[in-house]
Amino acid sequence: MRMTCQRPILFIFVLFNILILSPQVNAFDIERLEKIEKKLEGSKRDYYMAKELMRQDAYFAAIPYVAEFILSRSAWPNDFEKVLESLVLKTGPHSLAGLPRESLSSKESPSLSFILGHDLFNKKQYKASHEILSMIPEGHRFKSEALFIQGSSLNIIEEYEPAKVKYKACIELTSSLASKAKHNKLERYYQILNEQCQIHIARIMYKKKNFKQALKQYEKIEKNSYLWPYLLLEKAWAHYYLEEPNRTLGLLVTYRSPLLSSYFLPESEVLIALAYHKLCLWDDSLEVIDQYYNVYKERSDELKKIIIPHKSSDTYFLKMMLAPIKKIEGYNPFIRNLLTQIRKRVKYSVDLVNFKKSREELNKWLSIKKHTNLTKKMTRQVNHQVGWRTKQLNHYVKKQIFTFINEIHRFSYEMFNIRLEALSSKRNEVYKSKLSDGSTKRTRGSVKNITRSSDEHFYTFTGEFWADELGDYAFGLKSQCQRKETNAFSYQGGNK
Amino acid sequence: MKDLTKTIALIAITFSLCLTTVIAQENYEPNDPNVRVEYKQYESFDLGNLEIEGRIIAPGDLSVQQRDRKRFNRNLFERFDFDPEIKEDIFHLR
Repeated sequence: MRMTCQRPILFIFVLFNILILSPQVNAFDIERLEKIEKKLEGSKRDYYMAKELMRQDAYFAAIPYVAEFILSRSAWPNDFEKVLESLVLKTGPHSLAGLPRESLSSKESPSLSFILGHDLFNKKQYKASHEILSMIPEGHRFKSEALFIQGSSLNIIEEYEPAKVKYKACIELTSSLASKAKHNKLERYYQILNEQCQIHIARIMYKKKNFKQALKQYEKIEKNSYLWPYLLLEKAWAHYYLEEPNRTLGLLVTYRSPLLSSYFLPESEVLIALAYHKLCLWDDSLEVIDQYYNVYKERSDELKKIIIPHKSSDTYFLKMMLAPIKKIEGYNPFIRNLLTQIRKRVKYSVDLVNFKKSREELNKWLSIKKHTNLTKKMTRQVNHQVGWRTKQLNHYVKKQIFTFINEIHRFSYEMFNIRLEALSSKRNEVYKSKLSDGSTKRTRGSVKNITRSSDEHFYTFTGEFWADELGDYAFGLKSQCQRKETNAFSYQGGNK
Repeated sequence: MKDLTKTIALIAITFSLCLTTVIAQENYEPNDPNVRVEYKQYESFDLGNLEIEGRIIAPGDLSVQQRDRKRFNRNLFERFDFDPEIKEDIFHLR
């Protein structure tokens, strides 16, 4: 009885909140828009409608008009470049990426060149991408990104020195832009771009087998950088090829730190097994492999449980990302960590911001009480944008999860190879029935077994991870390899 | 007619010859004292004239030559570059 009395009161209260207390939605100036739509025709109408919509902060509704204008005109007024620039900034470069390549390349527009250059890179047309991005002048808003993409194109086609020039220009420009940025987010964005250019230079050095130089370059990235945890693996590889497997193991043990619990890379497990293998510690190598199969099989099965029933859904994965923490807590901790990793990606954050903006704009159009042909058209257009962005983000998250599963399987095969090699080496050892030093038991851990530079000091690790020490660990295991090791460089992980 | 008589006579002669041979073989005995077999009684080799090349080795212990087991190259995982990460960085840009 009490419940029935409360219901009307609750209904009135909610209605009151919606009508009176809710913040007033900024309505659009529909009359002005309708005037332009009726009076003007063709590309002129598209141009003025786009400008007016953007003036009213209706960027997503403006996209179709801008696209139509680009398709219909071979040249445009000087101020249209500004319109394009702010549209790309507010809605993302993918908004116009669907336009035909001819219409994007025929225009002398830096913004369109950026969209096309980015798209061409993703389609593996590196030379074409580099050429088109050269059209972006100095001082343009997208110059830093263009330099980064150009450097990467040259890097992949193995033109290392010109690539370095582009990366260095990118570093210089982004440092200056970060220092001038008015917002924290923008400063962080340029900082990440700067670090990425630095890392790519290190990767060139690595590719050219200059591992020591590469390590020095990697050291330029601060420990508090968002990219730093990913670099541990790359640095560990460089040490591995420098015949310093103890350093490799030390770097990779950092991933066991509670601070880095959300970073788990199957490749790091493979490298740990390889490092033990290089030290001829077959049992340790086999243990890592067994652990990999036990841990990652469970993870892969958990992920499959989620993916398979929803693999064709256009919204499930995005909803999972946007779900409240309480709901996520029900998942396996490793899935929560994987979602955290995806959330930290720049692309995800930028696309999510654009997605939310498009939804806000749609709500504004839907809140208009007077329905006219124009409002219906605008609502339809923005709704299409929201739907497309939902699918795009959902696909992105799904792809990341699929990539992770594929990696588990790919590295499982690599682990199998290491296991065979370790078993074979162990059998050889049994046949020879003694270790290199004549003993049957090995000693573990000594500072003597680490190559160290003059400015390094070592302390015994007692199982505690200290934030300032992360990434500076080294194992002190003695190699049990029986054959005499040479200094010759080899990519092969086994003993020589 | 003459030819036919000749042919019959030829066949008869051939048949009688074969018959005689068979009968003679059946009558032969290896220990027949009338049969005398003679072998070469003496043969000499002049070793001084023979030239034989080779080494005289003393018999030693039985030994098996030790060799390393064949090591198959299983192509363990390598990291030649970080190109996939570079492509991903650009894909994740904006």
